[in-house]
Amino acid sequence: MEYFAGKYDVIVVGAGHAGCEAALAAARLNCKTLLITINLDRVAHMPCNPSIGGPAKGHLVREIDALGGQMGIVADETSLQARLLNTGKGPAVQAFRIQSDKKAYSKRMLEILYAEENLTLLEALIEKIIISDSHIKGVVTRNGAQFEAENIIITSGTYLRGKIIIGETIYEGGPSGDIASVNLSRQLKELNIELDRFKTGTPPRINKRSVDFTKFVIQPGDNIPRHFSFLTPKSIFWGDNVSKQLPCWLGYTSEKTHSIIKNNLHRAPLFTGVVEGIGPRYCPSIEDKVVRFANREAHQIFLEPEGYDSDELYAAGLSTSLPEEIQLEFFRSISGLENVEFLRPGYAIEYDYVKPYQLSLALEVKAWPGLFTAGQINGTSGYEEAAAQGLMAGINAAMKVKGKDPFILRRSDGYLGVLVDDLVNKDVIKEPYRLFTSRAEYRLILRQDNADLRLTEKGRNIGLVSDERWLVYKKKVKELENINSVLNSLVFSPTDNEVQNILLSLGSSLLKSGLKAADLIKRPEILSEHLQQLTAELKNYSFEAIEESVIQIKYKGYIDKQMEQIIRFNKMEDKILPTDIDYSSIRGLANEAKQRLIEVFPHNIGQASRISGVNPSDISVLLIYLEQRRRGGSNV
Amino acid sequence: MFDTIVALATRAGEGAVHIIRLSGADALKIINCSFKPVNLERWNSNENFTIHLGWFYDGDTLIDQVLVSKMKSPFSYTGEDVLEINCHGGMLPVRRILEICMRLGARHADKGEFTKRAFLNGKMDLIQAEAIIDLINSRTEFSANLAVTQLGGKLSEKINELRSELLDILAYVEANIDFPEDEIEDIAFNELYSKIEHAKCISIEIFKGSKTGKILRDGFSTVIAGRTNVGKSSLLNALLREERAIVTDIPGTTRDEIHEFVNLGQVLLHLIDTAGLRESLDPVEKIGIERTWKALNIADVILLLLDVKSVKDGVLSKDEEIILNEYGNKTIVLVNKVDLEKDFSVDIFKFSNDVCVIPFSVKEYVGFNLLEDEIIRRVFDGQTVQPSDALLSNIRQIEAMEKAINALEKAQEAVYQNVPIDLVSIDIRIALEEVSAITGQSVQDDLLENIFSRFCVGK
Repeated sequence: MEYFAGKYDVIVVGAGHAGCEAALAAARLNCKTLLITINLDRVAHMPCNPSIGGPAKGHLVREIDALGGQMGIVADETSLQARLLNTGKGPAVQAFRIQSDKKAYSKRMLEILYAEENLTLLEALIEKIIISDSHIKGVVTRNGAQFEAENIIITSGTYLRGKIIIGETIYEGGPSGDIASVNLSRQLKELNIELDRFKTGTPPRINKRSVDFTKFVIQPGDNIPRHFSFLTPKSIFWGDNVSKQLPCWLGYTSEKTHSIIKNNLHRAPLFTGVVEGIGPRYCPSIEDKVVRFANREAHQIFLEPEGYDSDELYAAGLSTSLPEEIQLEFFRSISGLENVEFLRPGYAIEYDYVKPYQLSLALEVKAWPGLFTAGQINGTSGYEEAAAQGLMAGINAAMKVKGKDPFILRRSDGYLGVLVDDLVNKDVIKEPYRLFTSRAEYRLILRQDNADLRLTEKGRNIGLVSDERWLVYKKKVKELENINSVLNSLVFSPTDNEVQNILLSLGSSLLKSGLKAADLIKRPEILSEHLQQLTAELKNYSFEAIEESVIQIKYKGYIDKQMEQIIRFNKMEDKILPTDIDYSSIRGLANEAKQRLIEVFPHNIGQASRISGVNPSDISVLLIYLEQRRRGGSNV
Repeated sequence: MFDTIVALATRAGEGAVHIIRLSGADALKIINCSFKPVNLERWNSNENFTIHLGWFYDGDTLIDQVLVSKMKSPFSYTGEDVLEINCHGGMLPVRRILEICMRLGARHADKGEFTKRAFLNGKMDLIQAEAIIDLINSRTEFSANLAVTQLGGKLSEKINELRSELLDILAYVEANIDFPEDEIEDIAFNELYSKIEHAKCISIEIFKGSKTGKILRDGFSTVIAGRTNVGKSSLLNALLREERAIVTDIPGTTRDEIHEFVNLGQVLLHLIDTAGLRESLDPVEKIGIERTWKALNIADVILLLLDVKSVKDGVLSKDEEIILNEYGNKTIVLVNKVDLEKDFSVDIFKFSNDVCVIPFSVKEYVGFNLLEDEIIRRVFDGQTVQPSDALLSNIRQIEAMEKAINALEKAQEAVYQNVPIDLVSIDIRIALEEVSAITGQSVQDDLLENIFSRFCVGK
């Protein structure tokens, strides 16, 4: 029997990284929100690698934080190790990454969810979406509880018709031993939502007591660890003692490992045709690597701790769906792992995803207003990509409740914008979508150091940025102004021996005449950290603010050029396409363009121009159509 | 749509005056970098519609004296800021001015683009909209065919070679950035520099192979041929208006090639004066004669000087006949010294139909105008480059190629100055995108494809 169980503004189905951000955003924007999960002990769970961040992903976390999302704060509070990657490769691609204590992360996120005022949690399996008069009306649990809501966000990850594959062993299931969600997938199909199938996988977890670490190279954290959140973390596991960070361990596979794998390819689901879903090329299984790069003598592996109070190590680089006994055999052929014991085997998982061309830029299913999807269900991979979409879907569901315009970020605003824009406009996503910095055309502007300058004001305007965050942001803006005026007025003199000595030690040419600080830092060898040595005037400012203004001055030429490109880009984005447009009747549009425009239904001219199959001449025709229409032409 | 566009508004070819139209938000900025008005005060005045005399410059080099009509938005044809540059009627200043505008940030306009903007900015009535759509679609067909048919085998081979080199470079850089912990070697800057250098060389080679590019950069390659002492060096000097070649009455004075550049009717001629064609026993002179044949082979045009007497007598040397038979279609016959034979007429000698014959006198300056016209006709009618060359014929392709070369130069400079790799990648990417625009391929997908096929990435 079904029964009425409650009425909400927004219901979020799934409490992974997307679901948590979605629920928190909606609740913080004063929507009465219900968050339903298959397993309350697995909230914000990390079924794969125990780390957050890295190139593009770290950028996303900073952006989520700048807007008032949660991931950055929880990641900081529960990190085991922190590292800044790509430090020598330039300002745009420096990437922060932490190793996370998985259980602590999950526990901390659950505490935050519980503490959120407008948010209710529930463990249940959703089997049905209620539709009435072609409108979304709510959801029904397996036990018959009916929850009413006009806005539903589905963040079901890899649970939709999930199938676990380990060698010849195949069973229905979600990640980490959870159950799969089969009926919800069927429901989506009944709503005429097009689904397809992807595959991903994870390596075995091993017992650290069975590892000979002398055979591995230690990979420690940074001596001066940074953090994701623009708010200083209130607590970090290692506190002030950075040496308490846990290291990772680098090792290599052997020729023997490869031959064991090669000898058992006939039992590898990836090659026997058992796996139908397409897996990501950037995250290949070890059997895939051994086959595709057959002449490599060794592949890197990283052993990463899963928690302070856990003996589990994550064996990065060894993702596999070979039979369990083969997994064990090849693991034991690796130097240092001769006596290794498995805690959990590796597996591949296949799952249904929603082809994302069906979504608007607000992540709303175009055919079903009020139905949002976010995270891995949209064909993406990665905790960060999921959280980012969850945040955007949560905000947009709330905007809808309030009757406000959707909150859409552009490609020039952030990686958040690039992510959603790519998902919606690419006609075929050929593999699980992951963000790379190379996907961002305005990469130099979308740096991780300025995520707050780009987004915090927008977050404040929608109501997600707390007073505390707003004050921190305002302080940084003020600091930047002051630092800039110092750098532009301070002149270093050639008679200043202290300055000359520092320049000498840095291999920088000595001053022959007075030089403005703003000009001196344009020298490639002069870095932000040297500035505080060179002058006492900057002693009182935060390093983050100094670094920010140094980047702005040092790379001004390149930055200005990209800003000009952005201005041009934005002019096209500002040309909004009306929602009642009938593309099939527009004369002069190519047939393929008509079909794609009807499918994607772009929000603006800029977006239309990025849809595969729409050519520049079609854009010209659209612009003329818009102008004809504006003037009330008779033929349109 | 909103960027600044430029194009020749008058019909291409020779005329007294040409008009180049520049429209868009940056139009004024661009003209301010290249135009020096006579009356600066008036130029800076705030009137909506004014005409100014002044000089058009390429940096410090004077290109032409021009009249510029300045029409401020919205008081113009397109409704945007429009500048119309009236320059002198040769095609060379037109090309140079277009080139300079594009270098300063304008883009060559599409067919009908000024009109389209005029419509979008409310400068035209609705009836005209349909016609504009037709115009746009006529271009679509054209550009759809462009990537496939216009790129002949040799050219597409070369461009694909260039593109895959650029992809390799960028994929290497990007893989290094996006997969910092995978086993991708760090980028050695000197290696990167030489890789970019190599790509740049291919780009320049392709650019030079383009018809217009070749003529703009290298000049129109022109060989002066003829038997000894017929007046070749005098012609060269007359064109140069200075004594450069050694002119004597002794046959065989010019034993080597002399290269000169000269503007003739606004076309840049790359003049090659050759040793006379005659059997010689002198080994040095023999080498010179061999070179002459080689030069004849690769020339865009041959100016064959014949002595009016031998033409009148109907006696041509073996060499002269070979030139006429082998290279007739690219030969202009100059019958020199007609001042000595008052009753000379071209009809006296039966030249074959594809040969252009001009009565000429270097000494008395007869026939120079006809020669100028003929050369200009040949430069701009598309029959000047041998078909076996890799040809970029379309102005968009040439523009793209030039932008790619500029971007690669910038990338090299950045590498040289130790600029961080993520910034260097910006210009490499621009180059790749420009080249990909010629072949009509997408960068993003191929870039990832390249990364995943070459590097074993992913933990």
